[in-house]
Amino acid sequence: MTLILVPPQHQLEQGRSGAGNTVATASSRALARARTRRGLRQIPAFVILTVLAVVSIFPIYWMFVTAFRPTDQMLSTNPLPGPFSIENFAYVWDTIPILGMLGNTFLMALGLAVGQLLVAILASYGFSRWRFAGKKLLYLLFVGSWLVPFQVTMIPNYLLVSQLGLLNTVVGVMVPQLAAAFAVMLLKQHLDSFPRELFDAAEMDGRGSWRALWEVVVPNLRPALAALGIMLFISAWNEYLWPSLIMQKSDALIQVGVRGFLGAEGNNWGAVMAASGLACLPIFTIYIFLQRYVVDAFVRSGIK
Amino acid sequence: MFTEVLPHPATLPVSVDPAGSTDTAASRVPVRRPRRTGRRGDRRTVAPYLYLLPAVALLVIWTYSPLLQTFDLSFYDWNLIPTQPKTAVGIQNYTTVLSQPELHQALVNTGVYILAFLLLSVVLPVVFALLSRRVAGRAKTIYQALIFVPFLVTPVATSAIWRWLFAPEGGAIPAIARTLFGVEMGNIFREPGASLIAVIVIVGWQMLGFGVLVVSAGLAGISPDYAHAAGVDGATERQITWRITLPLLSPSLVFLALMTILLSAQWTYPIIDLVTQGGPSGTSTNIYYLLYQYAFRNFDAGISAASGVLFFAVFGIIAFAFVQLSEKLSFHDN
Repeated sequence: MTLILVPPQHQLEQGRSGAGNTVATASSRALARARTRRGLRQIPAFVILTVLAVVSIFPIYWMFVTAFRPTDQMLSTNPLPGPFSIENFAYVWDTIPILGMLGNTFLMALGLAVGQLLVAILASYGFSRWRFAGKKLLYLLFVGSWLVPFQVTMIPNYLLVSQLGLLNTVVGVMVPQLAAAFAVMLLKQHLDSFPRELFDAAEMDGRGSWRALWEVVVPNLRPALAALGIMLFISAWNEYLWPSLIMQKSDALIQVGVRGFLGAEGNNWGAVMAASGLACLPIFTIYIFLQRYVVDAFVRSGIK
Repeated sequence: MFTEVLPHPATLPVSVDPAGSTDTAASRVPVRRPRRTGRRGDRRTVAPYLYLLPAVALLVIWTYSPLLQTFDLSFYDWNLIPTQPKTAVGIQNYTTVLSQPELHQALVNTGVYILAFLLLSVVLPVVFALLSRRVAGRAKTIYQALIFVPFLVTPVATSAIWRWLFAPEGGAIPAIARTLFGVEMGNIFREPGASLIAVIVIVGWQMLGFGVLVVSAGLAGISPDYAHAAGVDGATERQITWRITLPLLSPSLVFLALMTILLSAQWTYPIIDLVTQGGPSGTSTNIYYLLYQYAFRNFDAGISAASGVLFFAVFGIIAFAFVQLSEKLSFHDN
């Protein structure tokens, strides 16, 4: 009985309903008391999390509130939204080819994510399925590349892109980033935990390694590929340094295009916020629908 | 019991935890592999090399060969124009770089940024994650969903939002400072010292929620049995936190700290470029922004390359030390 009177935190959390059904009324009254105590002890946690959430969300909220205000009330400090107007968005629409920028960036990010996935699927399969001479060394190449900051290799990369005639093209932004080492390592980890029987069965069916990859391995990897793909897409969308170097004379991509707009509009905050809001919109949309996947993918990889 | 602690590897990801541990993990279970390879005699097949070819070729072309080229460039004086000649100058670029006051300032700032982000993306997240453990269920999901959002905001938008929030005329933060404290903030992006703090605030805003979620995931991977057992033995909550939870969490924390040290210079880059341009007079710059300026503002490839090589070496040593440390700490799991 005494054990139930002071139940450890986690048991309470797990067994809220279960415990109530089985124990006598006396101890369930004690449980209720413990629960209130726990409720009280939760208050600081709620306060801290609420402050954290407000600090996190307010700047984004404020961006949209400002964007949806009429131009003459731009400097209003009323914390509540309204009056509602789409003037600023109309202005952005008329001033820069925002739809084209969004479309181009979407295709760039999608293409890059798919390309990175393909390269990573092939490489991780090669690593995971066979044992071969030089495996460890090749794997070190991937791990090591993670430690090379992009700023250290940017001059030779820039020169190569320029020699290939890809300056100011979306392809020039994509190609140097196609080998995502961490995607290879993540998929390799998944494949290493694969039951060997799957490979063996595929082989007994008379499939070569290529068909086994696409007909057996990839379908089984689908959840991992989806999470990784979403994450690669978001990273590609939010990439700043490389596009800003390669696209100096082009505003085809949102990062560079909106940067130019911000520079030109200065303190026209309504329009600036409208353009910024539009630049974030696709990622926010993905997040609203696939929240769990997005958080998991980033938290697990730990890499932006 | 022990297998329950292992879910960690999900939070302490493959990516960082370099070859070392993945391969030792593999060699710890030798039963599987010999059977597979032995039976099929795969040792001489070309298949794995073909599958690895695209990725390895891309890495060599876009990462390793450029790394060597950067090393090579660091011994030349060159202005990045293909038709202009390169002049060999020996180690002069290195001596120039090391004697530049702007480099010293950038190094100090980089250190300040790293310390600030260790606080904002490791220490504070641990505190918040430990406190928020008590909140469970739906409320927790909603809070987590909200605090992650800043991490997803695209850099141009982040910088625009904060420039607006800090705007001397009509900005929300100066307005609050005026009404609540009667303080005139002025343009903080133009004041030495203040602009550095502004960059820290902006990047910290993006990373804090991310850190909280990484630590929370680490906490979720720790079996409650340990805390329970200690509780039965009469340990106080404080003792449980310091003697059990934090040591078990240390692999996640080492990982997060390594990420912060290696990547904080890259996280700050877009914000520095978009908000302060390193100013006023270099007080908010960092080493990566300096590299960019040497190369693409001053068109001095040799100086940029030489400083790049130096930073790469320094960060390589730090990373190596951390990998050693994390291998030591992960013994907690065994």
